[in-house]
This record gives sequence, C-alpha cells and structure tokens, in this order.
Amino acid sequence: MTPAIQANHLNLFYGTKQALFDVDILFEEKKITALVGPSGCGKSTLLRCLNRMNELIPTCKISGEILFRSENILKADPVELRKQIGMVFQQPNPFPKSIYDNIAYGPRAHGEHDTGKLDTIVENSLKSAALWDEVKDRLHDSALGLSGGQQQRLCIARTLAVSPEIILMDEPCSALDPIATSKIETLITDLKQKYTVIIVTHNMPQATRVSDMTGFMYLGKVIEMDETQTIFVNPAEKLTQHYITGKFG
Amino acid sequence: MSYMDNTTKKRVLREGVIKSIWLATALISAVAVAFILGHVICTALSGFLFNTNWNPTGTPPSYGIAALIIDTLLVTLGALIFSVPLGLATAVYISYVAPPRMRDVVKPVIELLAGIPSVVYGFFGMIVLGSFLQKALNIPSGACWLAASIILGIMALPTIISVSEDALFAIPKDYKEASLSLGVTYWHTISHVLLPAAASGVSAAVILGMGRAIGETMAVMMIAGNAAIIPNPIWNVLSPVRTLTATLGIEMTEVATNSMHYYALFGVATILLLITLLINLTSYWLIKRMQTGSCLPDRMRNWTHSEGMRVAVAAVAGIIVVWFLSAVLGILSAVVITAAIGAWYFGREKISPKFAEKSSFGIIYACTAAVILILAIILWDIFANGLPAISWEFLTGRPKQCGLAGGIFTAIVGTLQLVAGAILITLPIGIGAAIYFTEYSHENLLTRALRIGNDLLNGTPSIVFGLFGFAFFVIYLNWGTCMLAGQICLAFMILPTIIRTTEEALKSVPNSLREASLGLGATQWQTIRKVVLPSAAPGILTGAILSVGRAAGETAPIMFTAVVFSKRFITRDVFDPVMALPYHLFALSTTVPDVTTQHYGTAVVLIALVIAIYLAAIFSRRHFQKKLFR
Amino acid sequence: MHSLKYFSKVSIAAAILVFVVLAVGCIDAVDPDIITVSTSTTALPAVQALIDAYMDNHTFADIQTKYYGSGAVVTAVSFGISDIGMISRDLAPSEKEGHIFKESVICHDGIAIIAHPSNTVDALTLADLKDTYQGKITNWEKLGGADEQIVLVGFNSASGTRTTFNKMVLHNEDASETMLEYNANGAVQRIVANTPGAIGYVSLGYATDSKVKSFTVEGIAPSVTTVTDRTYPISRPIIMITNGEPTGLAKDFVEFILSVDGKKTLANHGFAPA
Repeated sequence: MTPAIQANHLNLFYGTKQALFDVDILFEEKKITALVGPSGCGKSTLLRCLNRMNELIPTCKISGEILFRSENILKADPVELRKQIGMVFQQPNPFPKSIYDNIAYGPRAHGEHDTGKLDTIVENSLKSAALWDEVKDRLHDSALGLSGGQQQRLCIARTLAVSPEIILMDEPCSALDPIATSKIETLITDLKQKYTVIIVTHNMPQATRVSDMTGFMYLGKVIEMDETQTIFVNPAEKLTQHYITGKFG
Repeated sequence: MSYMDNTTKKRVLREGVIKSIWLATALISAVAVAFILGHVICTALSGFLFNTNWNPTGTPPSYGIAALIIDTLLVTLGALIFSVPLGLATAVYISYVAPPRMRDVVKPVIELLAGIPSVVYGFFGMIVLGSFLQKALNIPSGACWLAASIILGIMALPTIISVSEDALFAIPKDYKEASLSLGVTYWHTISHVLLPAAASGVSAAVILGMGRAIGETMAVMMIAGNAAIIPNPIWNVLSPVRTLTATLGIEMTEVATNSMHYYALFGVATILLLITLLINLTSYWLIKRMQTGSCLPDRMRNWTHSEGMRVAVAAVAGIIVVWFLSAVLGILSAVVITAAIGAWYFGREKISPKFAEKSSFGIIYACTAAVILILAIILWDIFANGLPAISWEFLTGRPKQCGLAGGIFTAIVGTLQLVAGAILITLPIGIGAAIYFTEYSHENLLTRALRIGNDLLNGTPSIVFGLFGFAFFVIYLNWGTCMLAGQICLAFMILPTIIRTTEEALKSVPNSLREASLGLGATQWQTIRKVVLPSAAPGILTGAILSVGRAAGETAPIMFTAVVFSKRFITRDVFDPVMALPYHLFALSTTVPDVTTQHYGTAVVLIALVIAIYLAAIFSRRHFQKKLFR
Repeated sequence: MHSLKYFSKVSIAAAILVFVVLAVGCIDAVDPDIITVSTSTTALPAVQALIDAYMDNHTFADIQTKYYGSGAVVTAVSFGISDIGMISRDLAPSEKEGHIFKESVICHDGIAIIAHPSNTVDALTLADLKDTYQGKITNWEKLGGADEQIVLVGFNSASGTRTTFNKMVLHNEDASETMLEYNANGAVQRIVANTPGAIGYVSLGYATDSKVKSFTVEGIAPSVTTVTDRTYPISRPIIMITNGEPTGLAKDFVEFILSVDGKKTLANHGFAPA
C-alpha cells in the first residue's frame, strides 16, 4: 500500500477554539476513504485542511504537517496544491456559465487555450462523470438549468478536468434525492480506478456502499481508521461501535 | 415539379405578381404615412432637438439643444471613464480583498464622499481643480469638459461603489470556493467568476452612476465653462461645455416668466427628464434580472462570448481611453500606457497567474488609495482654509457686504428650517406609502406601477424639482419665493429614499412576528402599529437621517423656490423666503470674485453639518445592527 | 426590545432638536418689517451696500436681496415676488404691457473691458471689440500685443450686461460661440484675472481691482467721471422699478436711495450718479 496523503500531529484552531487535536491519519492511493462521525467532530475541517481551503477563514491557525508527495503542503503554494487535490462540495455549485465553460474553466485558467484540446478535455471529463450522454447536445446552455444531481456530477466533471490526483468530497449527496445519490455513488466507485477519493459523509450505509477504508472521528480526534468492513462489523473502539449502531450522534 | 403544367405555372406566376403589386401599394402607403409623420416630427424638432445653436437672446433667438445634449453626454462619458475603473476596483477591494478592519474604514469613507454636498464639489472644482488644470496644462481657463468630468466622476464614485459592492456581496460564496478548489488564483476567480456573475448588478451600478452624473447641476455649472458649443474637435476635453442641467441652473433665474425662452427651458427639462427616465428604466431592468438570479440574457451572453464582439469592445474602449489620456497627459504617455495595456491584454495568457494576481491586486490597492486620497484632499483643502473663518461672530452674525463680512447665522438656521419642514412633510407620506406597499398590497399591476414610479422619481435630477416648484408654487399659486415652497420641493426629492428605506426596514421584520400577532387575534393595523413598526423603527430612522443629510446639502431645488441672497432676520413665516447654506456658498462663489475665508468657512459649516448628520446615521445603524444580531 | 428604548430616546432627542430649530425663530424678539429687493447681478454690490447702510440706522427693517438677470427681475416685480427691482438696462416695451411700473434711474454704470494684468495692449476701439467678440480677431498680436490666443469671456444669455454689450458693441449681432459664459460679474472677473489671454466685460465696479486691467475704449478710460459725463462709450442706466407707488418700508428705502447719502454710497461702488 502506498500513502497518497498523510497528516502528522495536525492541530487546528478557529480563533481560540481548537477543532482538530493532534490528528495522525494516512489515506491510501487509489482507494476510497470515508470519514464519518457526529456533526462537529472535525471531519469536514480535516478534509478542508488537505487542500488548504480552511485558510479562507481568517481566524484559522494550523500546526503540524501534511505530507503529499513527501512534501509538507502547509508550506507549499496553495494554488498549485489545489490543482493536484480537487474538491466537491455539499451544495452543487456550478458557475453561472454554460456547461462547456464550467468544465473548461479550470484548464483555461491553467493556460490551456487550444479549442481542440479543450473540447477533448470537456468530453472526457463529462464522460468520466457519467454526464456526457445527458448534456452532449446542450453544452452551451447554462449549467444552472441542470437538475441538482446533474449539477453535482457537473461539479465532479469540473474537478476531473484539471486532472487532480486526489478528490475530496464533502457530503456530496446530502442535498440530493435518492436516485441522484445512487448515480453519484456509482460514479464515485468508478473514480477509484484513477483517483484517490476521500469522502466525508453522514450517511452510514453510503460509507459501507462506496468506501474501501473508513475513518471515525469524534470531538476533533481520529478515533479509529481501518478497512470499512472491519469498522462496521468489528470495530476496535467502543466509541466507534456506539456510533455506528446509532447509540449517539 | 412535373405535375405543374404550363398553364398552372402561368397562373401561379400571375397570382404572385398581383400579390406583390398589392404588397407594393400597401408598402407605399405605409412608407408615405411614416414619411409624413417623420417629416412633421422632424420639422417640429429640427428647430429644437437637432439644432445645435442655443442662443435665446440672439436676433432671431434660436433654441437648438443638440449641442447641450451632446455636451451632457460627453461630460457624462468622461465622468464614467474616470469613475468606473476607480469605482469597480474599490468595490472589489471592499468586497473581496480588504481585511475586515480595513473594510470598516473604507466603507464609511465612501459614504462620507457621498455626503459632501454638490455645491461644495463645485466650489472645490472651481477654486482648486480649475486653477490646477489651468496651470498644469497651460490652458486659458480651467473651466472645461475635463474639469467637469473629473468632479462628476468623483461624485458618481459613491453610487458606483456602493451599488456594485451590494451586487458583489450578493454573489454566493460557493463560487469562490468552487473556483479556488480547482487550483485557480484568487484574482482569476474574481475576474472570471465573481465579477461576471455580478455583471447585471455592476452594470446597474454604472448606469446609476451615469444618472447621478447627468442629473447633477450645481457642480457642473460652476466648472464646465458653460459655452453652448460642441467641442471642436469633438474629443477636445479642454473645451468649455454646457450641459442640460447647467442651462437650467443658469438661465432659470435670468429669464422673464412666460417668455419663449422660459418655455424653451421647460423643453430642456423635459429632454433631461426623458434621458434620466431611460437610464432609470435600464438600471431597474438590470437589477430585476440580478434579483431573479438570471445573468445576462442568452443572446447577450452570446455576444459577449463571441471573439469578434470582444475585440470590438476592446478596440472601442481602447480608442476612448487613448483619446482621453492623450488629451490629458500628452500623446507620448498615452501611447506608452496604451502599449502597456495592449501588451498586457495580448500577453496575458503568457504571464503567470501569480504575477497577474499580484499586479492586479496592486492596481486595486492603488485605485482604493486614490479614492481615499481624493476625499482627503478635498476635506483637507476646505478645512485648512475654512477653519480660520470659524468664530463666534461668524456663526451667529448676520451677513454684511455681500457676505464678505459678518456671519452666516441666518443661513444656518434657514437650512435647518428647510430640512425640518421637508422631513415633517415627507415622513408621514413616505412611511404611509411604504406601509401600503409592504403590508397591505399584494404584488399586482398597480403596486408594480407605483413602485416603478417611485424608482423613477428617485432618479429625477434635483433641478427638475426646483423648476417644478418655481413654476407651480412661486408663479402659478403666486406664493412668491418662500420657505414652504422649498420645503415641499425638498420633501418630494427625498420622498423616494424614505419610502424605499422604510420598505426595506418593514420587509426585514420576520413574517413570523406578524403571524404571531395576527394569531393572537390582533387586527392588521394593531399588528402594524404594535409589532411591525417598532421593530422596523431603527431602519426607518436611519433612512430619515440620511435623507435629512441629503436635503441639507441640496441647492438646485431651493435656488428658484425658497432662498434669497441676503437677509437680516430669521424667517418666522413659511411664506417668507430664507437663506440657506448651500445656496449661500454658491452665490458667494459665483458673484463675489475674491475667494475669501468666508467662502471656505461657509463650506466648512455646510460639510460639518451634513457629515454630522451622516455620521449619526452610520452610528445609529451600527448600534442597531449590533443590538439586533446579538 | 432594547433597541426600542434606544429608539424612543433618539426620537425624543430628534423631536427636541426640531422644536428648538423651529423655536429659534423667536430669538429675534423683534417683529421685523420685511421687503425684498431683486437686483440684477451688476447692481448687487451697490444695492447691498445701500441696504447695509440703511439697515444700520433702521434696526427693525429686514431688506432681503435676491439677484437675477434683468429679465427675471422684471418678472419678480410684476408678480409681486419682490417689492423693488433694479435692472441694468431699459425696460422693453413688451415688459411694460399690463403693468404700471414706477421707474427711476438711480445711476449710470459703465461696462469696462478687462484683461489679465500682464496684457500689453492698452487701447481698443469699438470696431476691434466687435471683431474680437465675433471671433474675427483671435490673437492679441493683431491688437498690438503678445502672440497669445484670445479667450473670450462674457455673460450668459439673458443678462442685462450682455444685452447692453450686444447692443452697444456688437450691434445686436451674435457673439462667437466659443465665448465662455458666466452669470455674474464676479465670475467673469475671476476667470479673466486667472487667464493670461482672456478678455472680458464687467460692470465698472468690478474693474477697479488690481487683479485685472481695463482698456481704454476709443481713447477713453472707464471711470466714474467718464461715465458721468458720458464720454466713455459703453454705459447704461441702472433703473429702479416698483409695481406702482411704493409704500411703507419700500417707500422709505426708495427715498434713501435717491437721497444724497444714497448717491454717495453708489459713487463709492463705481456707479456714476444719474
């Protein structure tokens, strides 16, 4: 097993309030890792550390290190980093542009202006996100006209278009209906062929369905991290068991 | 077509020919009607609208306003070239770049800029900017198109900044996160996602700023040179010009009532009103689009995305900028700057995003700093020169020697009287209308029409209120020049602001409160009186204070209706005229040749009064915001 | 509800303020006698001086001034907006229709031709002036001065000074369109004082300042003396008009203007006695 990204002794403060306590965690390459835990346990915060989105909050302070390609990303350039580590958010957030322009936005921003190449990127990304067949005839319509599930797949396609190594997903299905959710889940399982996926979810069954590994977090600490099977069937920690059996949370 | 034999073909042909003959006759009659109508209208208008010669005292008199319209548009264009880049950059700075503490400083500064009365801008433009331009550019007179455009640009800045800031603020934070998570720089995010998403709101801001510039009278009249000519050549920014509003401001006090010239001035006012109506309707439409969440309509999107359109827009913008710069800085520097911009435009795909971000933020900081510097220069000049004039004698004495000696007590009290009267008249009407809009009416044709009417009233140039007040109260009702006429004109002018702020305040009261009250069996009026109005009171108060500030600084609505040049005692009868600070400053600066500390002193008192009122509004708003959100 | 208490405090404070403002009118314990004098801008300084002098001796009089172009002064008097009007040209026959104005010439005013003090030209003829203002002469060189472009400064349409200038100098032909237009002597004087190439015309009272120089016209320098004996070619009467016979304070003030003291005040401001 090869680590894709790992955090060592990670502490995070929002102002004076500590949100992450000495977190050590390792995510494997080309695997889907789910992060579960009750609300406010720090799983989204941890996820947003991995591509340094937390830094948009002015009061946020981080110590420790996060190694990606054996380099501490907390000292690297966040813009370059985010090209490698993409993110999909809770709410689908396509730009108020056409479907095509949404996908082509990232590559263009990174200096790709060749129309032929852009066309290929757009087509491949949409195909990878299982959206191509639904939108291929209306690529130049506004992305805001798509349904919620389609919008979320568009956002995934948009992330794929900059060809990252790792894709972070922050409860990507929580705003969607069950049918759209199952489509996204299928898509996520397909993605691990090429990408490392880290997904935060509230939905236990979803974690069992899509993930290879599962980490359980509680009050800003990683309690346990193992194969998904093990976590859900035979967890080492009592706390984990309580949580997955619904005794709290 | 084998089934068509020859005769059928002939018949079809014949039918076709006959049909086209009838079509032709129909077209002829339509064209004839259009031609006759057009000719009649053109003939009627050619003496007025398409005639460039405004010379009402010539023999024979000529009332062509084409030059006035063109000058108005040119001055406005110049103002926009100056204020749009500065304003947008500052709005971007406030909404996206500034650290919170800086934002808390810059925002009130912009609001102060909005609070400076236009007559003070005119005074500053005349005394400081005019002579500066004259010396710096070595031109005969600093009173010119360029000076007017700069001052109007400064005056349009607060409108452009605050409206576009609102638009930028309304853009969902999601866009920013989405874009940044793709490894895109913050600047690229701002320029390629956030600004385009706010396009409607930002264009509305620009158009409202344009309306502000077109409707301004006092400042432009004091610094534009007022020659009713089209600049020759047309890009000669150093030529004197005369706008529609300035024509009204200057000549209304000069003409004999009911003369041809008098009616021609009302014609000018009508054209002015039409132009501002058009502007307001456009911005209204844009803001509606913004609120309904749609961006540019599809067709417009296609335009903006087509390469040809972009190149065309860039070319036009480039030409305008080059022309303006070459007039101001000389041809060489203009070429250098244009080359730099061009190099940036065409090389921007080559330069690294990092560098683009750094340089763009640098420009944004510079623009914001420039805006603050402008305010600082104006205030410093006026306070440094004016404070020495302030003395007990100056504040409490009566004017002597045409205002060159003595004090301005009657003017201070007169201004307060005018404002107090205006607010007393307008508050009940404004609050009542707002209550009707939000509490009683459902969205229908009538309320929509009333609301649009209110928005349009809001954009009406203040001089038009003065003109109306003069023709109706002073002449038709034969009240003469009197305080009451001025109070009513000011009341009309601030009415839309009162209605709008009250409406906003009422809307911000959560519906659950109303339902709770109604659920307890209270009547609607009881609910409004006991629940809704008290919770909305802070917002209403803030709106009222801001309106008072605006009314206190206005000159155009009162100069024909309410004020006299000098007066010994305080006015005690609403049918007697008053003295007022803004008019006093205007009259002093235009009739008394020497610039004295008395001028500056009057400006200081006026600014201090208005700023005190604005600060009261800002602080009361902050106070209530803290209270409500705690 | 805390905000409510604060609000009521603020509104009480505001109400008190408004009350004070309205009540401040009563600081003047006198019940003043009020009239309004409308004056053309030309006569404003002189009229204001007359009023200051009169009011110094009459503590209960409040004589308000308002300045307009002469045309509007006539309107103001005929509509009863003003009790007394001062115009700087003759009444037009059309203006007299339907009104019985009482007219009296209170003084004569010369129109001085002024330029920047650095100007080397000293004398102009009426013909030179006409050509200059019609744009036929555009450089001071032609008039014997330095090589400097001439900047025309004048009054806007409908001022009495402009009407007089147009009549006496331009013979009612149009001035050049490039003329900068202002609506007051003060403004014209300031622009000329700041502009090396400028030429302007102002009421004599505004030409005595050292910031501008005035030309001799047809060999005669403008002064109270030359206007009094009518040797200076460009002058006009300042006419006081009232709508019918004045009464009360207006009558008293009119009498003061026509008295010896009034004439002295006028002469001090550069106006030649009638």
